[in-house]
Amino acid sequence: MINILIIEDDENIARMITAALSMVDYNGKCCYDGKTGSEEALKGNYDLILLDIMLPEMNGFEVMEKIKDCGTPVIFLTAMQDVADKVKGLRLGAEDYIVKPFEALELLARIDVVLRRSNKTQNIINYGDVSVDLTRHEVTLKGEHVQLTPKEFDVIVYFLQHQDIAVSRERLLSTIWGFEFEGESRTVDIHVQQVRRKLGLKDRLITIPKLGYRLERQAGK
Amino acid sequence: MKLWQKIFLSSLALIILTVNIISITLLNSSSRLLLERERNHAIKEYEYFAASFSNAVVYEKLKSEKVILGDDEIADIAERVLSGGDRMQTPAVILDQDGLLIAGSDFEDILRSPEFSKSLKSADTEGDSYNICSFRFKDQYLMTVCSSLKTEGKTYVIATASDISEIYDMRQKQTEHIRRVGLAAAAFVSLILLMTTILLLRPLNRLNIYTKSIAGGDYKVRIKPHGSQEIRELSENMNKMAEAVQERSDKLEKIAEDRQVFIANLAHEMKTPLTSILGFADILRIKKNVPDDERREYAGVIVDETKRLRSLSGKLMELVALGGTEIEKKPVSLSDMIHETAAALAPLLSKNSVELECSAENVVIMADAELFKSLLYNIIENAVKASPKDSRIVLNEAVSEGNAVITVTDSGIGMTDEEVKKVFEPFYMADKSRSRKAGGAGLGLALCARIADLHNTTLEIDSSPGEGTTVYITIDGGEIRER
Repeated sequence: MINILIIEDDENIARMITAALSMVDYNGKCCYDGKTGSEEALKGNYDLILLDIMLPEMNGFEVMEKIKDCGTPVIFLTAMQDVADKVKGLRLGAEDYIVKPFEALELLARIDVVLRRSNKTQNIINYGDVSVDLTRHEVTLKGEHVQLTPKEFDVIVYFLQHQDIAVSRERLLSTIWGFEFEGESRTVDIHVQQVRRKLGLKDRLITIPKLGYRLERQAGK
Repeated sequence: MKLWQKIFLSSLALIILTVNIISITLLNSSSRLLLERERNHAIKEYEYFAASFSNAVVYEKLKSEKVILGDDEIADIAERVLSGGDRMQTPAVILDQDGLLIAGSDFEDILRSPEFSKSLKSADTEGDSYNICSFRFKDQYLMTVCSSLKTEGKTYVIATASDISEIYDMRQKQTEHIRRVGLAAAAFVSLILLMTTILLLRPLNRLNIYTKSIAGGDYKVRIKPHGSQEIRELSENMNKMAEAVQERSDKLEKIAEDRQVFIANLAHEMKTPLTSILGFADILRIKKNVPDDERREYAGVIVDETKRLRSLSGKLMELVALGGTEIEKKPVSLSDMIHETAAALAPLLSKNSVELECSAENVVIMADAELFKSLLYNIIENAVKASPKDSRIVLNEAVSEGNAVITVTDSGIGMTDEEVKKVFEPFYMADKSRSRKAGGAGLGLALCARIADLHNTTLEIDSSPGEGTTVYITIDGGEIRER
């Protein structure tokens, strides 16, 4: 289980982040000011800290100064779009910087990147007969090796990490192909169909009209 | 051409001109004096010669015992006098009345010169006056004196010539000397002049550099006023100017900064509710199964935050509308406005179980009723937000010292002095989470401050944490119409 500390003074935003994290089975704990936040960060064993900048008692930069020695990766959340602030945050040792307002999946994607970088994610994901080894880039179906292209591999990993969540084509495009990729959503459709066919997920990886795709969570899990 | 060059060149020209005029005048008067002396000398020589001649004639007459001497005898006498040893270094001549030469020494050439013949002609007339003429003859200057002499029944013309070249030579030399001295003096004077000009104008140079740095945007530099009075005054005035410029630019900077802060705060205040709205809406959209309670919670947050945005935009619009427009004031009853505001606040009061106690004198003030009610509403609303349940807010309105004073006292959470200082700043919230829960945007008191400004009204806050807050709304006596 991944534990994430949320230091954010606005209760509604903190609740929203907790709800978003719970979608991918991450555990979120909220602190509403810089002081208790930094104490909690030093005390608890967290995999990641989401840190707001404008906080009562102590601002985010001060909290960052205080907690950077404990080695927990930090992502700044802020309404400020100032490049100078961004640079300051990153220079202080933050892993990333998310500007408010953000979509839930964007937040999760950024969190995933940071967690993967610090090797906090599971290395092997099992889903029914399908087993994916993230470190060795291998996919097996009923114990047999399945050949996937790198993009198809990324697609199945993304769905496995976001089960029961409707993922839009745009989200897949920007996460897997990168923001600069100007391909059509047809590319996404083709890859999803390939993954479905190769891994026998016809009934599980379903199309949601007007939205995108969703990988159904396995029953009993 | 630069100023120092102008001053230098014009003074130099003036000095040289003056010196030249003075030296020429001196030179002229001195040579005139010399000439006068030479003239007297020449006349004396002439007289001596004429007297010698007359004496010789008389002596000859006595000797020869003749009454009248003949022409030949006169010529002899003349010849004798002229060649007569001791005196005749001076060329002299004796002519008869027809201009014919009787006797002369060294005078043949002079006789032929046109200047002398002209002078001779005018001397022909009668009288004792001398005809004096000076002219250049060959390589020397001569002064001739001629006059007529009557003797032996005939008129003779006698002329002498003196050499006055010396005067002219001297004049020449003096001119040369003055020219040389003048040149040296001019060089010396120009050097001194140059130095003084540069020295005197150096403060201007300093001022110039200083002005340049001000023009370059460095308004903090100040020049030390020293040097001559004018320069001191100029530098003092320039300092004043720089100060004024600095003040104004500081003011503008402050305004720009305030605006920047306002916009940054506004963006922040908008983004905070937007983050919750976007996040929860996104979760509702993409999550497969959302339990009923979660759905209600998420949607509830979205509704709350949307309301917050609505109130923010409303307040913002009011603030913008108040920014530039002139308001229309009419006489309105203060107590009426207070009671209307209290009525409008009734739902909020009952929701928070807070009691509002009003006592108001009947005073009519000049005001825009809607705006003024909005001011009262905001202040009472703040008091309600700060008050605990089942507490009481006291509103009192009375005229004191000619001003109408409204006090709003609550027994709520209160504020520290630090917080009180900031409450009128846009987007400032003493207790952020509390205020947001109550739907505040942090603009209410900024709005009140604007409205108060427009009504000659001051707002003062007296507060201590844990004990409560009193707001004093003092309406200037000038706005009161009736009591």
